Amino acid sequence: MIFGFLGMTYEFKWSVLWAQPHLTWLIDGLLTTLQLASISWCIAVLLGIVFGAMRTVPFRPVRIVATAYVEFFRNVPLLVWLFFWYFGAPEAFPEPVRQWFIRHGIEFWSAVAGISVYHGARFAEVIRAGIQAIPRTQLEAGLSSGLSVVATYRLIIIPIALRLIVPPATNESLNLLKNTSLAMTIGVAELTFAARQIETYTAKAVEALTSAALIYLVFCLSISSVMNWIEAKFAIPGLIARGTRAEH
Amino acid sequence: MKRFGFALIGALIILSFAAAAPAQTQSTLEKIKSSGVFTIGVRNASPPFSFINKQNERAGFSNDLAALIHKAIEKKLEKQIKLEMKETSPATRIPLLTSMSVDLITETMTDTRPRRDSVDFSLTYFVTGADFIVKKGSPIKGTKDIAGKRIGTQQGSTNERVLREKYTQAQLVTFPDQAAAFMALQQGKLDAYCNDAIQLWGLKYKSATPDQWVVVGDWISYEPYGFAMRKNDSDFRAVVNNALMDAIEGGEYFNLYEKWFGTKSDVPYPMNQTFKTFLLYQVVPK
Repeated sequence: MIFGFLGMTYEFKWSVLWAQPHLTWLIDGLLTTLQLASISWCIAVLLGIVFGAMRTVPFRPVRIVATAYVEFFRNVPLLVWLFFWYFGAPEAFPEPVRQWFIRHGIEFWSAVAGISVYHGARFAEVIRAGIQAIPRTQLEAGLSSGLSVVATYRLIIIPIALRLIVPPATNESLNLLKNTSLAMTIGVAELTFAARQIETYTAKAVEALTSAALIYLVFCLSISSVMNWIEAKFAIPGLIARGTRAEH
Repeated sequence: MKRFGFALIGALIILSFAAAAPAQTQSTLEKIKSSGVFTIGVRNASPPFSFINKQNERAGFSNDLAALIHKAIEKKLEKQIKLEMKETSPATRIPLLTSMSVDLITETMTDTRPRRDSVDFSLTYFVTGADFIVKKGSPIKGTKDIAGKRIGTQQGSTNERVLREKYTQAQLVTFPDQAAAFMALQQGKLDAYCNDAIQLWGLKYKSATPDQWVVVGDWISYEPYGFAMRKNDSDFRAVVNNALMDAIEGGEYFNLYEKWFGTKSDVPYPMNQTFKTFLLYQVVPK
């Protein structure tokens, strides 16, 4: 099959994608991407909940710490953070610890650190927005019924906030998954790396990059479907005015 | 499922654009003549072939040869042509070439048979082979010592391929560019970095502490360098090759070799007789 592609004659050869070892590279790359994304996502959400909640508590020093974290980490490009966590941060560790990391996948864990801390700051903002959307009277009602600040947050504010933030959190999760592609710059053999690897071996750029694009697309669409389901499943009837379900 | 439907429509629109674009058959010389620009693909960190020097200018052996080719193109087209340089990497250079962004890759590209499926090459203007650069005192002396070691490579390079296929016990860490890989080596995150020997010598001499680095190994691969251009463009290829032949025959090539690899250069790499004979035999009669 020959196509004129952006002004050049290009011969498509999709079979390069399932010819070995290319298929193994793609599968390994996909697995690495999923590992990187899921570990980073868990840490980022945890950081986001902690710092997002901290940004709303009625105690100024705590708010200052949380604001400092968010502003520091979200205002520097992720690529710069990845270089920092790979080339900069490990140098500060004591030599035995550093050597241990080097022998145990330092590229992967630097990427996890970079992505989770960066997206943690962004999740914190999403969660803060969720908490601040809850009327202050909820907090006051909780406190006046004898609950402590922590208990009010744990039992009332955060459970409601988590439901409110499903749409923006979905957005953030999709960003996180796609941003794992930057990890190839510090030597992590993830999905984009695998696609480029096939491209450089076969010079079939369109096929290799299309395959990566489709895989990202399928996973992102799956995540947003699951999140939609979660949104519907955990909605508290009558609490949030929803109107009809958003059309997708 | 509607969501998937929309995504599918989006994908189809993009693909139909791609398929509908007419296949242009403008030759490289026509393109250079009409645009008045000759664009070469260069590198920022591949001394002494193509790099940014201490005066922050693009320089190198390949760059100087490209300047000779530039002159030959001007002479052929009887027109003043602007020389433009675009940064490339092993992973981007073939797409940049086929998409017409760059007319000639003039950095450190090894001529291989699989690559000839996608691009055409000029005469061979340099030969080298892959070695390893290690910190002084490293136990790594060659391929027999690399099992289980963290070996850095550059994505899309020929040495990466040789290591991946033939030395499967080595733990490869592949970076998109040489600067990142050498930085990781300097920080002790890699045990060795593998690339063409001549480039490793270049890296060694360009580093802050040249004495600290040793190039070891015995050429795990054969790397003949050529300038890459778009396939099936024999008129352009003839201009490039004639410029190289003129340079070899007229001696400019050897002067440039002396400038970049002679005893007084940063990367002394004396030319052996076999290579000299090989170069001269590539020159066909006028």
